[in-house]
Amino acid sequence: MLTDLYSRRALIWAFANRDFATRYRSSVLGWAWSLLQPLAALLVFAVVFSVVFRIVPPPLGADPSRGSYAAFLFTGLVTWNLFNSLIVLSMSQLKSNGELLRKVQFPGWAPIFGASIVQLVQVVLELIVLILMFFWQRNVGWTWILAIPILIAMALFAQGIGLMLSILNARFGDVQYIVVVVLGALYFLTPVIYPMSMVEDTASNLVIFIQANPVAWFVQAMHDVMYSLEVPEWWVVPGLLLLGLLTFILGLAVFNRNSEDIGELL
Amino acid sequence: MTDIAVSLQHVSKRFIRHVDRRNSLKERIIRGRSRTSEDFWAVKDVSIEIPKGSVFGLIGHNGSGKSTLLKLMSGIYRPTEGKIHTDGRLAALIELGAGFHPDMTGLENIRLNGSILGLSRKEIDDSTQAIIDFSGLREFIDDPVKHYSSGMYVRLGFSVAVHMKPDILIVDEVLAVGDEEFQRRCEDHLYSLRRAGKTIIVVSHGMGQLEGLCDEISWLEHGQVQETGPATKVIRSYLERVNNQESVRNAEISSDRSMDAGSMRAGSGQIRTQTIALRNVENKPLDHAETGSTTRFALTLNSKESILGPNVRLAIQHEGGALVTMLNNHRLGTDLGIVDGDFTVFVDLLNTPLLPGRYRIHIDVFDHTGAKLLDNWSDALEFPVRSQRGEIGQGFVELPAQFTLSKSPTQQE
Repeated sequence: MLTDLYSRRALIWAFANRDFATRYRSSVLGWAWSLLQPLAALLVFAVVFSVVFRIVPPPLGADPSRGSYAAFLFTGLVTWNLFNSLIVLSMSQLKSNGELLRKVQFPGWAPIFGASIVQLVQVVLELIVLILMFFWQRNVGWTWILAIPILIAMALFAQGIGLMLSILNARFGDVQYIVVVVLGALYFLTPVIYPMSMVEDTASNLVIFIQANPVAWFVQAMHDVMYSLEVPEWWVVPGLLLLGLLTFILGLAVFNRNSEDIGELL
Repeated sequence: MTDIAVSLQHVSKRFIRHVDRRNSLKERIIRGRSRTSEDFWAVKDVSIEIPKGSVFGLIGHNGSGKSTLLKLMSGIYRPTEGKIHTDGRLAALIELGAGFHPDMTGLENIRLNGSILGLSRKEIDDSTQAIIDFSGLREFIDDPVKHYSSGMYVRLGFSVAVHMKPDILIVDEVLAVGDEEFQRRCEDHLYSLRRAGKTIIVVSHGMGQLEGLCDEISWLEHGQVQETGPATKVIRSYLERVNNQESVRNAEISSDRSMDAGSMRAGSGQIRTQTIALRNVENKPLDHAETGSTTRFALTLNSKESILGPNVRLAIQHEGGALVTMLNNHRLGTDLGIVDGDFTVFVDLLNTPLLPGRYRIHIDVFDHTGAKLLDNWSDALEFPVRSQRGEIGQGFVELPAQFTLSKSPTQQE
């Protein structure tokens, strides 16, 4: 199953190249948008939540006397965006490539992975901005290394879910609307705009729901290694990797089982 | 390794026709599984073996299952029942340029389409130049394809597909694309693939084209194979059926609208021309006539009763509308004697004096007096004339003539 992916890598690349080439083709600023968008969101959120709602960020790992809400928020935002965008993008790929799938025989996951690769490049760009932000805050640590496996696990997890949802969406057109609503709710059940400590103080009955949300595990691990410069418990990173890998394999298996007649469905 | 490129064993394909498709979850939940579905067998129990290196044609009416069968062979559909086995790389021209992205340039689309069709990056790089040359779109190759005309679009699509060096090429009615010049190039390319021993599977309604190209043909009717066999034979029985159906229809029509000028067939119907085919003197099927070499029109006719000395007339009309000539067996001094049942008439156009272009044949059959019209078939055949010498010439015909040079003033002897 996984060797299939490798043998069709040229095809996946071709789709990735297509999406690269066409993503911002009709806009003047081009790829700058890939950073302008999250930075604008960051600015709005930072102003609204730190100035209006007065959310107090946790202490920085390098200097516990300080906190940076913008850096805290952006750490969570990058992680959440990775999850959110992979799912939303994957879900729409079968439909948007339907014309092609009806007429040429090729695996349906190829355009999905192609689109995801392009999205991963975007995540890397965001990550660079995040790192610059932490350098500016003089909050640097070797625990950053752990962000790599965490983000890979996050990507695998999101891709696995995205694969399953894409098949479901090809059959039932309203899945995408449901998913958007669910993702919107899940976003507020994930400690992106607020620190976990705040929920524990003010709304302790919500804690259990947040703890049950897998995306929160990834975001919290990212907060630990990037912001607080702490190593999470030893089982957290391998656990997340395992969760990501299993979800991905499950997603791919479900996809392969159900995509053989995809040309007729679309 | 076997000698069979594509083998189909008892292949059937069922589509479920939902009277209204439960496409939304709400409807699925509220009304449950759709109740008003009925099965539709687009392809039913088809067994075909296509040998390697052969050209195989599929004919049949619209909706007879030809395209579904092609999609099954190319793996876009899975058979509901039966087995399909293909041996070798397969390229399907179901729709040209299906994978083009309007915002990308022609060159970028060549790369993308090549990968989708299964080429490796190296193969794509190697054949990019050939693809551009074949398409004849060099000037525009760096423009986004959304600025292409529809003709340019298909030309690029065809060029990519035929350059992926398939072992098996599946062609679905896409030959009628582009201008005359490009169509010829496509046809020539198919012939060269055939010479190279590739397997070609083609669907077309152009019987003349199929007869020239195919070794074997399957005739599909309502998803089932009606007949499989040598091209000429199957085409003949297919056309016979079509003509019969048509004459039944015509008989119904003529009872209240006698001899409509617009109808394709007219005349009393005592004789019917069944088929007309382009051949050479050795009776080999041709897809075009050649200026300077003899072209044979092979007419198969059927006479319902014994008829004495029918007068067969073949009108040759240039595509521009001008009548070039009317060949008439009586005028040429040939008596066909008494005819009854099926018979064949060869009309040989000696050293074809027609200049390159497209021509149409109309057939009239009169009785021996030349007064009573027994059969009239307008637009019986349309065929191109080409010249090996390459020149086009002026007018329609090249009459036998001679130029000589004489240095001295003309003298009478």
